[in-house]
Amino acid sequence: MTSEKKPGKIRRYGMAVDIDKCTGCGACMIACAVENNVPPGNRGATDLTGITWLRVFKVDNGEEYPRKESVYFPMMCQQCGVETPCYLVCPQQAVDVDPATGIVGQMPERCLGCRYCMAACPYHARYFNWWDPQWPAGMEKTLNPNVAPRMRGVVEKCNYCHGRWHAAIERAAQAGLEDIDASDYVPACVEACPAGAIRFGDLNDPSSAPAQAARDPQSFRLLVSLGTEPKVYYHSKREWARRIGDPSQAPAPKETSRG
Amino acid sequence: MQNTRRNALKFIGGAAAGAVLTPVPWRLITDTALWSENWPGIPRPLQGEVSTRYTNCSVCPAGCAVRARCVGGQPVSLAGVAGHPLSRGGLCAFGVAGHHLPYCPGRLTAGPVEAAAGVIARAAANCNAAAAGTPGAVCNPGETIGVLDLRPGRTASWTYRRAMGTVKGGLYLTAGEPFSGAAVDLSKARTVLSLGAPVLDGWGTPGNVLAARANFRLIQAEAIESRTASLADLWLRIRPGSASTLALGIAKALKKGSVAGAAEATGLAEAQITDLAAELTQHGPALVLPGYDCPEAWALNGLVGEFGVTVVARPEAPVPEHWNKNCAPVTPLASIADGSIRTLIIDESAPGDHIPWGAIRRKLVADNPVVIAFASSPAGYARHSLFTLPTAVYPETLEDIPAAIDSPRAAFRLAVPLVAAPAGVVNPPEFVAKAAGIDATNALRERADAICKTGRGVLITYTDGRAKPVAQVAPDDFWRALNAGACWLDTESRRAAPPHADWTAPDARPAENARLPLVAVLAETAPAAPASPLMTKLDRESNLRLGPSRAALHPETARSCGAADGGRAVLETALGKCPITVVVDASVPPGVVQVAASPEVIDICGAGARCRVASL
Repeated sequence: MTSEKKPGKIRRYGMAVDIDKCTGCGACMIACAVENNVPPGNRGATDLTGITWLRVFKVDNGEEYPRKESVYFPMMCQQCGVETPCYLVCPQQAVDVDPATGIVGQMPERCLGCRYCMAACPYHARYFNWWDPQWPAGMEKTLNPNVAPRMRGVVEKCNYCHGRWHAAIERAAQAGLEDIDASDYVPACVEACPAGAIRFGDLNDPSSAPAQAARDPQSFRLLVSLGTEPKVYYHSKREWARRIGDPSQAPAPKETSRG
Repeated sequence: MQNTRRNALKFIGGAAAGAVLTPVPWRLITDTALWSENWPGIPRPLQGEVSTRYTNCSVCPAGCAVRARCVGGQPVSLAGVAGHPLSRGGLCAFGVAGHHLPYCPGRLTAGPVEAAAGVIARAAANCNAAAAGTPGAVCNPGETIGVLDLRPGRTASWTYRRAMGTVKGGLYLTAGEPFSGAAVDLSKARTVLSLGAPVLDGWGTPGNVLAARANFRLIQAEAIESRTASLADLWLRIRPGSASTLALGIAKALKKGSVAGAAEATGLAEAQITDLAAELTQHGPALVLPGYDCPEAWALNGLVGEFGVTVVARPEAPVPEHWNKNCAPVTPLASIADGSIRTLIIDESAPGDHIPWGAIRRKLVADNPVVIAFASSPAGYARHSLFTLPTAVYPETLEDIPAAIDSPRAAFRLAVPLVAAPAGVVNPPEFVAKAAGIDATNALRERADAICKTGRGVLITYTDGRAKPVAQVAPDDFWRALNAGACWLDTESRRAAPPHADWTAPDARPAENARLPLVAVLAETAPAAPASPLMTKLDRESNLRLGPSRAALHPETARSCGAADGGRAVLETALGKCPITVVVDASVPPGVVQVAASPEVIDICGAGARCRVASL
């Protein structure tokens, strides 16, 4: 199901991620979890069953020391712009593509937990709530009131901090503005990255960082050959890292066991 | 069609079958799912007025500036302050979740406060009596009381010095780094050689390091492929525990001596060491940073000739003049005699580097020493103390944060409380001051006034990002600004004198040990204090970091130890054992155990400690 068209400017939000700058510190992952009320991992949670809307992977060029090179890849929902796989397979209309922003959203209250969307997502960017969300006593006071915690049995994923988008719209409306200020809507991971590796903006605005990244020959998108038009542009000066963008072009470098 | 019973049943059955093919039942299922949104087990976030408050993070010594988004007065998210001259808008993963610290499971909130106060007062009185030769003094001659401060330079540190100044022979102790008086100026460095320092993994002020990163070439000499090693411009893989030998080799190369011994001990080629020495002198200004196991690297900066450029004296904010009178001197723990401390107070409320317990235990008297730890968690020195007094945690308490190691200029900033501390916790400096009979309740304000009185430096306010000369600010306004989110920054830096080092020592190769065939390398630096429960995102839920009590082994090493990925094992060194969970990782060199640093692990692992892993 597609949302009703909202008044105002039509945007196509995207991200530009400079993986040469990323140090793998994980500040983006924590900021994301804080902003979106993702609970701490259950005692039984592993890297397969945990919930990280944004996950940083370590990838190397497959060589041995001293030719070995590594980069860190922040991976979030790639916000597919065309033939969005999760949107197409959801039997519950729990996935929404907002025509005003291009953001692929998830409505957990509609989700039945069938996980078709997880199977369909080529980026493994969707996560299933295997446990009831639990915070240590008192910590629920620190939850973000703009985002509802999700229940066990539903799928969730990055939505470019949609709570911040709504808050920005509210602020603009209160100020009597028809449109939001671009600097007023920045996802938590972008705000948190101490290296400035993740940037955010409207791909329809040629001056935005993602739009500039889209024109950069050293930029690439992941699995672009699938034709889903992801809206996250990665950038690297390393050719081997760029080849990761589409494994059909060349043998993919191996991922380390701790990535 | 006749109205027969059969036709009625056919109609009902057909309608039921047809309804399944319409959206109606699926719509009902959707609406049923909607009810689950309000399960009683799902917490409901608090609502309230949204406000922004500013403070400084005191989770680690970096003291990054923080902008807190509060709802109904409760912080719900933290972010850096853009444009801040020290932290450059950056905040690390631990700082981003700093507002969760008050709710960490297992946090200490009660302890024997009255009993400990009596013990401290009696110990101080006994020391004075013993020093005066009073008959019946419990304290033997030569035995004394001391305060071990893990984060020197704070106003609390001065309170401890003043408190110990009232006791005859009272000691104010610090970690005792050989050159803890140095600070570095990364903005001036063009070549940085790190001998194992986690430069890109939380060292110094992360935002400042990353802002300067584009301007220097980073050479990392380290045994394992740490985060910094994997991101450095050049990674020199040396043998575990051989960083000191490499420093010595570089010194010899600079003095045109032989580096053959260093090459053999470190596993590098002789040409690599001589090239490294040449690069430090030719592509300067250079900076050599010591790692955990190589403190003598500071002295290399003297040979390279960059003292006063990339290395300056560690600056400290001014203090009221009367504090300097009758205060105990700063004494490195390592410099005092073994078995000389009868009563030791350890302030772990502001964590810095964790000193292995063995190094502390040696300094205590053999019979019934009294150790009092101020801590918020039972995981640190509380494991060894007789009394553990609970303390407030960030962001519950008002405290100052001294300049970080990568700040060439003195700074003064306050970690302002954003939430109230629970009942039952103590304020360590005020507690010690009271026991020693001095008044320190207003120490922070006194120091702020003393800084303002100098008229030196600038006051940077976080709300507007403006810098105002302190000479134009009244003391009351200065104090108010600091409490609302501001930072005082000095305008001067002082030249440091290079420390002395013996460059004639023989090249030492790490000793072999048949019983302990592996080498432990500490990795994945994390604050000694408990971190947010959300840190599971970085270790268990993503494997980005080694989680607490986890050790990474090469597949061959794991096989030889009989350990499997995810299996439980015991890490054993000459100093003790601790339980670990094995992570099999091909990027770890064979024969090495990369173990996540924690107080328990640091207590048994020194620099390049020999160890073995026994599978359970």
